Amino acid sequence: MSEPRFATFTELLRARAAELADEDVHVFLRETAGGTEAEHLTYGRLDREARRIAAVLQEYDVAGRPVLLVYSSTVEFLKAFAGCLYAGAVAVPVPIPGEAGRDQRLGRTTAVLGDTGATLVLTETAAAPEVALWLARNSRPDAACLVSDMPGVGDADAWQPVTARPDDLVFLQYTSGSVCEPRGVTVSHRNLLANQAALQKVLHTTREDRFGSWLPYFHDMGLVAHLLHPVWLGTHCVQVAPLSFVKHPLRWLQAVDRYGVTVGGGPNFSYDLCARRVKDEQIAELDLSRWRLALNGAEPVRPESLDEFARRFAPAGFRPEALYPCYGLAEATLVVSGGVPGTPHVRKDFDRTALEHDRVLGATAGGRARTLVGCGTPVDVEVRVVDPLTHHELPPGTVGEIWLRGHSVARGYWRRPTETAHTFRASLNDEESNFLRTGDLGMLEDGELFVTGRLKEVVIVNGRNVYPQDVEWAARTVSPALTFGAGAAFSVDAGGEQLVLVQEVRGAGGAELRTVAQRIQALIGKEFEIPAGNVLLVRPGTVRRTSSGKVQRTLMRGLFLDGVLRGDYEVLTPDVRALARPQDVLFGEDLLRPEGADGGRRW
Amino acid sequence: MTVHTGRPAADGVLPHEWLYARLSLYLRRAPETIDPTVPFAEYGMDSVAALSLCGDLEDEFGLEVEPTLLWDHPTVESLVRHLSSVLPAAPAHARDRH
Repeated sequence: MSEPRFATFTELLRARAAELADEDVHVFLRETAGGTEAEHLTYGRLDREARRIAAVLQEYDVAGRPVLLVYSSTVEFLKAFAGCLYAGAVAVPVPIPGEAGRDQRLGRTTAVLGDTGATLVLTETAAAPEVALWLARNSRPDAACLVSDMPGVGDADAWQPVTARPDDLVFLQYTSGSVCEPRGVTVSHRNLLANQAALQKVLHTTREDRFGSWLPYFHDMGLVAHLLHPVWLGTHCVQVAPLSFVKHPLRWLQAVDRYGVTVGGGPNFSYDLCARRVKDEQIAELDLSRWRLALNGAEPVRPESLDEFARRFAPAGFRPEALYPCYGLAEATLVVSGGVPGTPHVRKDFDRTALEHDRVLGATAGGRARTLVGCGTPVDVEVRVVDPLTHHELPPGTVGEIWLRGHSVARGYWRRPTETAHTFRASLNDEESNFLRTGDLGMLEDGELFVTGRLKEVVIVNGRNVYPQDVEWAARTVSPALTFGAGAAFSVDAGGEQLVLVQEVRGAGGAELRTVAQRIQALIGKEFEIPAGNVLLVRPGTVRRTSSGKVQRTLMRGLFLDGVLRGDYEVLTPDVRALARPQDVLFGEDLLRPEGADGGRRW
Repeated sequence: MTVHTGRPAADGVLPHEWLYARLSLYLRRAPETIDPTVPFAEYGMDSVAALSLCGDLEDEFGLEVEPTLLWDHPTVESLVRHLSSVLPAAPAHARDRH
């Protein structure tokens, strides 16, 4: 069902609007006191609203220029996104900044505003005061804030159709890159259409499919697979707000049941959340039998999570073969590989010690084994496994960096020629050029892609990509005792990926150290939205750096896991303690806590 | 369905065992290792864990709580004190859950 007749996503959307004017393109389930309230958007209305918004945008001369989109309602977001398409602007989906988005300290959205150089922000009435305040605070009086859902704004008939070319940009994805060094992946019409066609081939989707999502619109898997793929097909998506989902995971499953959702998913942790939070009596009332693809991507897929979800939701008619691990990344627009729909995913046991050294051996009897879940077969993309140092291709069954080439691979990073050349224009074996370096480690075995680890230092927890340098930078702001100390953040695998922060401290001691650590933990837990159960405060000079001053995180991680690195004050989660301090765990817990082992609660 | 997850605490209608069981699940540690005076963040509390407990409190007690609840009341002690003041006088375990 590939449709080569469309040269741009804009053409496709206009054709859908003409053909399916009265059909739903989107249903947003708004959280209310008693549950949710459905708001429907039809293709016809989307087209009309997009023309109206585009007419306003055209007054600002936005063609080819970035426009930030800040929304809480995905109905309003979609209208604005389509408005950008119609005006030839480059949409930049971002989270709500400031207090409401709990983003004041980190300023992710502020970093994107700066990096894009955008002078226009589109938002909705509910978020407008927050956005206006944020722009004023950031001394960007030159940036205009347009409220797209305000009645009487724009005239759909005043819109001047724009002819886009396949290589014009549609949107920027800021899912990779740190706050310190934001990187907007530039996705063109050609990239988007190629990836939509790949999604269809991978997932075997048709117009009969119904999509169900809780992912934010600024997440690549949310935008490309759940919001835009239904448009490409001519069907619709039912959306639960991310906050509603995390508070009440049942809401998503109820949407799957009520709307007959066949395709929908999220990162691995969302399945843990459902299995943990939804009660047996609630499961008994659900019918999940029509759900044919429960996508699991964007963070490492854990076999335990898949098993537990399948077991818990079997009484609701959930089919284990619906569990659908897949692999993709923003730099390739989204999807790279996936399994065969309707068949069980692939699992294989490997020797754990060999994998830890990025080598592959089949598991042996009696040896420590790690079960890896296969991410399926690559579709419409060339995949090579490459030695990251020599840039030579490795033989099958060897772990190396995953390199990609194809029409889905984006053009580069917005206004970053050096990083673009390094990441998107790599040369293989000194002869083939223009490969994308994913920074992920993996291997191909009988055509199945296994992702085994990561070359880049990003930490992935709760489906979030957290960059060590951001954590290190933010931690230093909590106390003057840390201002001049180096820090090293990295992750360890202890029943799931866990963050560890090693931070140098000066001029503080005793009980102060604990207070400092608590402040760091609260900051990371709240602002980065990932657990910070492991903090080591160490003496100056402990954090190793290269002669050029670069923090040696991998080295610090090794020292920590070997039990060599210890803090003057340290707090560790039970899982990580068992990993890095097996001796202490044998003798009884919390031996190293300054308060001693009697801190336990009495009740 | 009724809430019968333990004895109501002397200082309010919030069942302590229920609260510790939920915290134990989200913080991935045994309930007896959770000190009521130690900030949740020290145990690795993050936004997903904090929002999960907010959702539980809404489901179990029909409360509407702010997403920032656990950051504003960052220990068991202060959370229980706050909840005791906002929980309705009638025992929650008589109420139907939806």
